[in-house]
Amino acid sequence: MPGQNGERFHAATSLTDAIAALADRGSAGAALAGATWIMRAPLRHERRDLSYVAISKIDELRRLDILDREISIGACVTHAELASSLGSLPECRALAQAAVNSANPAVRNVATIGGNLCASAFAAADLVPALICLDAELEIEGAKGSERMTVKRFLEVRTGIGPDRLVRRVIVPRTARRSAHIRLPLRKAGDYPVAIVSLAATLNPTGVVESARVAVGSVEPVARRWEQLETSLVGHSLDPRRAAEQAERFCGDFLGREGVEAPGWYRVKVLPSLVRRAVLALQEQS
Amino acid sequence: MSLRLVVNGEDRVSRAEPLTPLVDVLRDEFHLTGAKVACREGFCGACTVHIDGQPVVSCLVPLGMVEGREVRTVESLAAAGELSPLQRIMEEHDVVQCGMCFPGILMVLTSFFREHPRAERGEIKVALVGNICRCTGYERLVDAAVALAKRS
Ligand SMILES: Cc1cc2nc3c(=O)[nH]c(=O)nc-3n(C[C@H](O)[C@H](O)[C@H](O)COP(=O)(O)OP(=O)(O)OC[C@H]3O[C@@H](n4cnc5c(N)ncnc54)[C@H](O)[C@@H]3O)c2cc1C
Ligand code: FES
Ligand code: FES
Repeated sequence: MPGQNGERFHAATSLTDAIAALADRGSAGAALAGATWIMRAPLRHERRDLSYVAISKIDELRRLDILDREISIGACVTHAELASSLGSLPECRALAQAAVNSANPAVRNVATIGGNLCASAFAAADLVPALICLDAELEIEGAKGSERMTVKRFLEVRTGIGPDRLVRRVIVPRTARRSAHIRLPLRKAGDYPVAIVSLAATLNPTGVVESARVAVGSVEPVARRWEQLETSLVGHSLDPRRAAEQAERFCGDFLGREGVEAPGWYRVKVLPSLVRRAVLALQEQS
Repeated sequence: MSLRLVVNGEDRVSRAEPLTPLVDVLRDEFHLTGAKVACREGFCGACTVHIDGQPVVSCLVPLGMVEGREVRTVESLAAAGELSPLQRIMEEHDVVQCGMCFPGILMVLTSFFREHPRAERGEIKVALVGNICRCTGYERLVDAAVALAKRS
């Protein structure tokens, strides 16, 4: 059902306008950001008969602010903008690498961070594990006010956040960490990654890992932290071989999803190699 | 509902549904058949056009999103009847075979060379990851693009 005024497509001019338009449409409406997921709905045999509220022209949602203690990323910042704005910040390397290697250049010019987080049926989203490993949080905005939550919490509730609420911005804390995003596509570029490992770690002055975050994407339907592996990395110096051995031990934690591009067992099997490459990448950052 | 946009410098109005893919409006309504439709999935790049100067896959852009924006298609590259330097070098190197992928490749490389006029071979290949060509094997077209970069 379209909104009260019969529109199937409303280009919102402000956040307030977007939230009012979404509230008006209720379950018959949805936000439309870069549209790269929504436009492919017929190919996935899904409905595309909702009434869409386009949010990509809202200035506030397009802002990316690098502040002293955090980076604030509006929901409609594109993968290309993320890559160019964050490429020179060492503490955000995982997110910049996720953005610059995802999809292809023409798609990166329109696909947004908010769309990547909200496409709940998209297991291979690159930005999601990168944001988990950087301890990012989200701000959700709705008619009844705003709410802040971790990415982990958001992934648990995202299918039920309600049609009248929007992801407004993503907040990435700035800390002195190293990070890397390692993905395995079957071809060198262009297709979805079979598996993703995003890693962030803080080291003490002697090079011993003080804290670690490992997030795994594309292996299971929803990206998540690999806590057992994180614990085993803490207290040791960065050692790619040892990290891969530990990953091998804990791989049983994952049940790989079946897919046309790869069977579930394969997605799990490649994890130790991706962990080794991620630790190596951190070792090379000084 | 009618929607205004600028296509290759001309003001245009479309009466298509706002969710209609831009490529269909360009081809079926405006008869600009340069942008090709192959996968409709964003994977092949045959439908690439510029919106406000940036390459995008027009099969995934709903018409409603381009209201008031500037669209350029491959037809604009030789608007005055004279080939662009990129088109000329592709012709000199006899690169084109069936031509299905070419409008997209030209649009991607046109914007890429604007920002990286002296790009290296590896950078050119990375820029083309979203363009699938079933005929040329890529090497000849990359050779031509490298030759253009060397001339500038
Ligand atoms: C060929 C191709 C290859 C790709 N490869 C990759 C890849 O390797 N890695 C990768 O990470 N991505 C990849 N992508 C991009 C990815 O698939 C999604 O299409 C994209 O991230 C979605 O962003 P969008 O802005 O286009 O979302 P849209 O299509 O606009 O929206 C997606 C969903 O999110 C909702 N939504 C959007 N924004 C908000 C918001 N702010 N608040 C609430 N809900 C919202 C919409 O209602 C919809 O349900 C690829 C895309 C294509 C076309
Ligand atoms: S037809 Fe648009 S990318 Fe293939
Ligand atoms: S020339 Fe035929 S697909 Fe490229």
